[in-house]
Amino acid sequence: MAAPSASHLHGRPMRPAECAAFVMAPLVSFLGLLWLLLRGEVPLTKSLSWVPSLGIDFAFRIDGLSALMLALITGVGVAVFIYAAGYLSGHPHQRRLFVMLTAFMLAMIGCVTADDLFLLFVFWELTSLTSFMLVGFGHEDLTSRKSAQQALIVTGSGGLAMFAGFILLTQQAGTSSISGLIEVVPEMARTPTLSMALILIFIGAFTKSAQVPFHFWLPNAMAAPTPVSAYLHSATMVKLGVYLLARLDPAFGEWPLWQGTLEAVGSITAGWAMILALRERDLKRILAWSTVATLGALVLLIGLSSPVATVAVATLLLAHALYKAPLFFVAGNIDHGTGTRLLDKLGNLRHAMPLTATAALLAGASMAGLPLTFGFLAKDMIHEAKLAEQVEVLVQIGYGVFGIVAVAVAGVAAIRVFWWHPGVSITPKAHECGASLVLPPLILATMGIVLGVLPWVARSIILSAAQAMSAAPIESIDFHSHLPSMLGTLTITLAVGVVVYLFWDPIHRGFDRLAKHFDWMASVSHYSRVVAGIPKLAAVSTRSIQNGSLPGYMAMLFFAITVAIGLMLWTVRGDLAWPEWEWPSLGVAGACIVVALGALLAGGLERRLVIVLAVGLVGYGSAVFFLFAGAPDVAYTQFIVETVFVVVVASVLLKLKRLGRTTSIRGMRRRPWAMVISVLFASAVTLLFVVVSAGTLDPLLSEYFLAKSVPDAHGRNVVNVILVDFRAIDTLGEITVVMISILAAIPILAALRPPRRRQEART
Amino acid sequence: MNRRIVILERVVGPLYWIILIASIWVLLRGHNEPGGGFIGGLVAVSATVLWGIARGPDAARRRLPTGDPVALAAIGVLSAALSGVPAFFAGLPFLTHLSFTLPLGVTKLWLSTVMVFDIGVFLCVWGALSGYALGLLEIDDDDEVREGGR
Repeated sequence: MAAPSASHLHGRPMRPAECAAFVMAPLVSFLGLLWLLLRGEVPLTKSLSWVPSLGIDFAFRIDGLSALMLALITGVGVAVFIYAAGYLSGHPHQRRLFVMLTAFMLAMIGCVTADDLFLLFVFWELTSLTSFMLVGFGHEDLTSRKSAQQALIVTGSGGLAMFAGFILLTQQAGTSSISGLIEVVPEMARTPTLSMALILIFIGAFTKSAQVPFHFWLPNAMAAPTPVSAYLHSATMVKLGVYLLARLDPAFGEWPLWQGTLEAVGSITAGWAMILALRERDLKRILAWSTVATLGALVLLIGLSSPVATVAVATLLLAHALYKAPLFFVAGNIDHGTGTRLLDKLGNLRHAMPLTATAALLAGASMAGLPLTFGFLAKDMIHEAKLAEQVEVLVQIGYGVFGIVAVAVAGVAAIRVFWWHPGVSITPKAHECGASLVLPPLILATMGIVLGVLPWVARSIILSAAQAMSAAPIESIDFHSHLPSMLGTLTITLAVGVVVYLFWDPIHRGFDRLAKHFDWMASVSHYSRVVAGIPKLAAVSTRSIQNGSLPGYMAMLFFAITVAIGLMLWTVRGDLAWPEWEWPSLGVAGACIVVALGALLAGGLERRLVIVLAVGLVGYGSAVFFLFAGAPDVAYTQFIVETVFVVVVASVLLKLKRLGRTTSIRGMRRRPWAMVISVLFASAVTLLFVVVSAGTLDPLLSEYFLAKSVPDAHGRNVVNVILVDFRAIDTLGEITVVMISILAAIPILAALRPPRRRQEART
Repeated sequence: MNRRIVILERVVGPLYWIILIASIWVLLRGHNEPGGGFIGGLVAVSATVLWGIARGPDAARRRLPTGDPVALAAIGVLSAALSGVPAFFAGLPFLTHLSFTLPLGVTKLWLSTVMVFDIGVFLCVWGALSGYALGLLEIDDDDEVREGGR
């Protein structure tokens, strides 16, 4: 998998062996996970010290919940990788897709196994970045770029809010370890700070999992190639937000803020996203909205407090991956085989694509929650969770809409496009896809049925996941516990869902007509307004603040510093003392006179070259002052820097004439203002130094360095010892900056050279 | 600066070496007396600038140890960074400096990774600031003919 050069990386199509090598990554991880589970080594923890001064560890922990997520990431990953091998076969950038998919998978694995909030955050943002590149895979296409950008802006800024929340939470709880937090937080007082932390974490989780009002980015991210959509948007990344909430559920589960927010946001998302699904004509976007709705349902279930709700979360997580990923694959196959995903052009595909149709039927059955499928078990658990406690009307409505439209969407994806006769066949070119495109959806969808018939296969992984999510102990899971009442609800949902399916087109038209009046209210239009406003704001601020006038910048800078120092001195004026007067030594007095002379000259002169020399005088005077103040090192440096500075600036000024600039300051109009600002600035700084020198400085550091310099670093020059030994890493950073600055300056300097010389320099 | 300054051109040869030796002396004494890599580097820059003014920026550039200011600065940063590596082998954090004394019969020679670090600072300052100065000197007349050591 080495990538020797860029041209090697692109262009040449991948050989099957190479694809197989990439597929090994998720496959080996999946088998490794199975091995771990079978040996009963879960929970498994590994920890390395990372930032000990902040108590942040490179800590990993695989418990039941992580194992379930890992099973989805690596298991669905195998299917996705195989599918990608076929879907993009011969694509010039297929290798890049595989590299990014692998990187994404590793980031996901890191995220769900991290046992430290900050470690989790690092992987979390890595998934944002890799998914940005995956969504923008077709970067020649503007829509693709815009969608990628939207996904990154929404999930990235949410991640930053979450980071702030993590910091607040860590400060309050005294640990950043997730397993530690789960033990500490339930005992803690519910302070406003902690609520703030929780709200910030909510923002991160909700943006990642596309909850209302951040739901708009996910369907737009369907610009990604199908394998990516299936992976990112059904099985893995968008479930990260849900995962984080589930992970923190034992810590915060009893808070009214936690329960209320999750139930409300989850219900609204579950219902609203399904209504938005009814507006779409693109099969993939319909599926994407139903994914958003499922995420809402998961969030709502986390908000419920009964232990059985956590079982429902685990079951739905698994069930959704097992039906939604195949349905995305089916949408991709239809696209591949017919060239379109629009509902109006599709129909009667079962003859041309029998295997895809079978996969769609199996997955659709699970999505609709028909008996003997794993989706049915998920619905059963959700039903039981709702019975276990008093739930709000909002939850009932949200979940009701979710269940009904899920049936309709399943019908559209599994029946309408394959069995419906649209009158004229608009897709005569339809053909079945190759094995690598047909097997992944078939296998995953079949798994959904197998687990439905033999639920005990999945029982242990779901049970351990639920145990990890629940504060209260869960002994066992009883599938089919409320079968009679469940069947009643299921029948109603199914019946209404079938009605919605049958009247899909009229409902679609109705919603579309209605929505036209409300489009300005949609989150996505707020988003576009904000995004469009940023360049305008930048233009206005650039025009007013960055007008390109160097004297203007300097004036602003010095004025701001003056104000800052003035405010600071004003606020602490009570504690300030005026120092005792003492006669300066002759050397110091002389230095001061030289400095003052230089400053006065610089203020009054007109020719730039002479001004530079006058400023140099100020520098030399300061150096003399340092010499008498017992800092010969600083004085030497100052002398040399001053000399080099004057030489360099003088040589620049000599060129200015050639570049058509004058060497004297034109227009004395601004001079009075400059005088006022410089006098104010100088007074403020002087005042600051005088009052600072009157106080006693804390000698701790200087004493430490003086005492340690010779024994620890074998050097008597303390300044140098600090630079090269005690604070060597700072110095290393500084000289790196110096080197980078010359790299940046070289093109600018080269551009200023006369053309003939530039030509020579290039050859 | 169109005219050639004959006296400067004659004098610059020995002067260059004297300033360089002085800069190295400043560099080496830095650990115990005023001096060190930064000041030493600045002194060395003045030697290069002098050569640049007397015989042209290209000649001064060729005179640098690597023939290129950026490469010189990069070598400086690299050696400063590498000076922290031996600490790993002693099981200490990065940039913990190690030192030992080499007995040389009558006298003893004190060696330390600090020296390598300081030399790195020296080279970086020398290279980077020479790059600036020579780049500025090069923004010059098209009829410039003071090339090489003519």
